[in-house]
Amino acid sequence: MVLDIFLGILQIVLFPGIVFCIGLTFLLEWIDRKYYADLQNRMGPLYVGWRGILQPFADFIKLMAKEDITPKAADRRLFTATPFFSVAVPLLALLFIPITNVTGVLSFQGDLIFVLFLTTVIAILIILAGYSSMNRYSSIGAARAGLQLMGYEIPLTLAALTPAMIARSLTITEIVKYQAVAGMSILIFPSMIAFGVFIITLLPELEKIPMDIPEAETELVAGWQTEFSGKKYAFLRLSNNLELLLGAGLAVTLFLGGPYGIEKLPGLTALDLAIQANIVLSTVWYTAWFLIKTAIVVLIITNLRALFSRYRIDQMVRGAWKYLTPLMIGITAITMLLSAAVPGLYPIV
Amino acid sequence: MSRLVDWARRSSPWLLHFNSGSCNGCDIEILAALMPRFDLERFGALLKGSPRHADVLVCTGPVTRQQAPRLRRIYEQMPEPKFVMVVGTCGSTGGVFRGCYNAAEGIDTVIPVDVYVPGCPARPEAIALGAVKLLEKLKNAQKQARGEK
Ligand code: SF4
Repeated sequence: MVLDIFLGILQIVLFPGIVFCIGLTFLLEWIDRKYYADLQNRMGPLYVGWRGILQPFADFIKLMAKEDITPKAADRRLFTATPFFSVAVPLLALLFIPITNVTGVLSFQGDLIFVLFLTTVIAILIILAGYSSMNRYSSIGAARAGLQLMGYEIPLTLAALTPAMIARSLTITEIVKYQAVAGMSILIFPSMIAFGVFIITLLPELEKIPMDIPEAETELVAGWQTEFSGKKYAFLRLSNNLELLLGAGLAVTLFLGGPYGIEKLPGLTALDLAIQANIVLSTVWYTAWFLIKTAIVVLIITNLRALFSRYRIDQMVRGAWKYLTPLMIGITAITMLLSAAVPGLYPIV
Repeated sequence: MSRLVDWARRSSPWLLHFNSGSCNGCDIEILAALMPRFDLERFGALLKGSPRHADVLVCTGPVTRQQAPRLRRIYEQMPEPKFVMVVGTCGSTGGVFRGCYNAAEGIDTVIPVDVYVPGCPARPEAIALGAVKLLEKLKNAQKQARGEK
């Protein structure tokens, strides 16, 4: 009993919980920056650690040690609280993502809905952060962030629900298990389109470059983050990285088969059994596959980031409401029709 | 712990670029220093938009009378520890603007300066060297503060 509680706490705090996730975000940021620099024919971080691998960590420590300014006009309590909450919320959501195992650290019936709800909470926190700093740039940035995040929330949710409808379950573990039997959802008909939409909506949700309208630095200094300095800015950066990990992790879990690797291919059953028999081996194996798949999703996002330049506000709004939302509603309808009309198409497991 | 913080400070100088009335020659060269050939990001430098996020204020220009209060305010908005790097002859001494009725004679008449990069305009190599010098100076100061040689 005591041992169970101890192990549970260890799982939440160390591996695969908080410490592991934060370390993973530093690694992903390094991959992102290095690849981004490479696409622009630059070197990227080079001298801090092996090929600059410690750069995100150094940035974080430096920001933590810097002076922390709270503007006089700011709403002091809200201004201090939002950065901490915006780290805590994605961390909580990350505990539901299966990394070392088929199930996440936390898991219950219908947890996919809860994770999607948490992504909406992040949007609200961003609006509060911009509003509480009482700076003109921050307010405009927060208003834009609200417009953008609310618009893209609907296609994101519908895209995440498509594989759930195919697997006939709202539990993340069930969806992963379904994919182990029926193949990755990205290979099943309507959900490959949903995967594309999911990746596209991740860009505005994470405020990456073609959709970085809320922090457009040529117009708004740094958007809703303008007034945050020192520790608070460190937390905001960490929060954005955690959201990137969460988005990529959700994409991996829902569309790319979660932490399962090649052992689910037909003919490799012996390997599968060998892995499942040994808990250490299975943990390493699943984590490695999760890392590889997440890195692939991050590289796709980086590629898009390097490829496009910022859209105008009207183009951003139109993209959400005129194209992506109707498309996703159509795909949802098609999925429902198919699963009702063609019984054998999505096997029941 | 303090060693870790010192190392982190040396490893990630984030820049804020400010033009206090220069002819724009040096500003273009600063951008060139951030571009593929020289790429200051290899030292961890990122160009930031907000003074609240930056560590190094990269200034150009002789500080015109209109810009002086703004330069001072931007400097005060930056969180400690902060450093100032001047790029260009006119920022260091007044240069071609020396003796003008409407301009001060260099950035250091308004705010304290850590590194000067001369040249009209300063070459991007020189700007990269200036950045390295700044980091070295910081390292020496940290060593002295810890009482090492
Ligand atoms: S140093 Fe020369 S090139 Fe540079 S800003 Fe001054 S006048 Fe222009």
